[in-house]
Amino acid sequence: MGFLDAILGRTKPVEANLDRLFGLPGARITLEAAEDVVPTGQAGVCFKPSAGQAFDATEREITAMLAAGDGAGSSAKLSEKADEYGYRWVVVGAADFDTLVTQVHFVNSTLKDNGYGPQLLCSVFGFAPAAPAASGHPGSRATEYLVYLFKRGTFYPFVPTGHERRDNEAELRLKAVLGEDLAIEGDLDRWFPLWELPVE
Amino acid sequence: MLSTVFLLGLLYAVFVAILVAVHMQIGFILVLAFGILFVQYFFSDKIAMYSMGGRVVSREQQPQLYGVVDRLVALADMPHPRVAIAASDIPNAFATGRDQKHAVVCVTTGLLRRLDEPELEAVLAHELSHVAHRDVAVMTIASFLGILAGLMTRMFYFAGLFGGFGGNNRNNNNQGGGQLAIIELGMIVVSAVIYAISFVLIRTLSRYRELAADRSGAILIGQPALLARALVKVSGEISRIPTRDLRAAEHFNAFYFAPALAPGASLSSLFATHPSLEKRLDQLAKLDAEMRHGAA
Repeated sequence: MGFLDAILGRTKPVEANLDRLFGLPGARITLEAAEDVVPTGQAGVCFKPSAGQAFDATEREITAMLAAGDGAGSSAKLSEKADEYGYRWVVVGAADFDTLVTQVHFVNSTLKDNGYGPQLLCSVFGFAPAAPAASGHPGSRATEYLVYLFKRGTFYPFVPTGHERRDNEAELRLKAVLGEDLAIEGDLDRWFPLWELPVE
Repeated sequence: MLSTVFLLGLLYAVFVAILVAVHMQIGFILVLAFGILFVQYFFSDKIAMYSMGGRVVSREQQPQLYGVVDRLVALADMPHPRVAIAASDIPNAFATGRDQKHAVVCVTTGLLRRLDEPELEAVLAHELSHVAHRDVAVMTIASFLGILAGLMTRMFYFAGLFGGFGGNNRNNNNQGGGQLAIIELGMIVVSAVIYAISFVLIRTLSRYRELAADRSGAILIGQPALLARALVKVSGEISRIPTRDLRAAEHFNAFYFAPALAPGASLSSLFATHPSLEKRLDQLAKLDAEMRHGAA
């Protein structure tokens, strides 16, 4: 949003950047090697619902398309949840990670094509330990999430370890590990927590 | 708004032209006015927080509030402002700070008590829009003329008093004395008139900025009706508060989400810092209709 727009009080809603998502398959390989985690097979898209029938219609379109599946034999599971802040989550599942990324991209671009790009908040992908306590790590490890911020076109790691607690050390480590594969959000203030994630 | 800004600029120009025409030495006054304004601008966050009793809260102290703000700033792609709470039962919110990186958003305990979370989010979206629009900077620059004119009125008045309005001038020229008196008197009048006009223009600008923040805030959350609901609730609650409390808050009106006006206060709409409730609701209703019947 330009300086002039700001001064004149005409905020342009910030559009979502969809393309950076495709860095994820590469990141997943790095994660498997470095952290010994595998994709949980679930991902979520979080957005702020807008008022109106036009928006409801778009949502129904997405639901219908995802339910029909993409015909490639993937078990596309889907659910929709509202979270405590009034945002909605579309949770998709697929055994194959690349398919999962494509599905999420589909949800995003449908919303964006219908003019709801500005309502998109983030996408979340889960990575769980491959073999718990197998590689000498103490105790049961937490699921690690990669959160994609649409408005920034960047990712940040999020590792919740219980009720409103997060493992900052792990997150910073992930930042170092994934620095080359993904555009990681540089401003740590923007790594906001997503408690009660509806994504596994 | 452009016409208001243009008129303000015109006023500046006219004022400066007059000053030049009468060969005024206004260097000192200019520096003073600029100095006052700069301090007001630079420390706007501390000044506002101090005067309204706001205290910055941490994420651990207010996880829900932070959660709402987190998501709004992610949606708006803004730096995260500091979050503060002011202990006051008057439901209200304000945002201040010299730029986005030094911004602070403050809500009163009265607001937190009365609004549910979606309404709170709507109010915060309005406040964050003020930050995004750099309203502190805009209003500070706009008020420069008012402060300058106000200062000059006082300076000339006292200069005239002590100088005996042209009676004690060093020239022995009587006509010169008379002329000086007229000029001095004239300058007082001019400064006063300029001050009055700039006051009205600045208030007009303030009303425009409020409408702009309403609009941007509503678009950010995608729910104009929600902002309207919050607005009605806050305005309704304010009119129920005993008049004594409100009068304490009235001079801070420019900062607030809704002006803390006692019911029956007949503030001429020219002088109001905020547009009337009807006007704000009207804009929000139009926005809602636009959003419902067309793609965004």
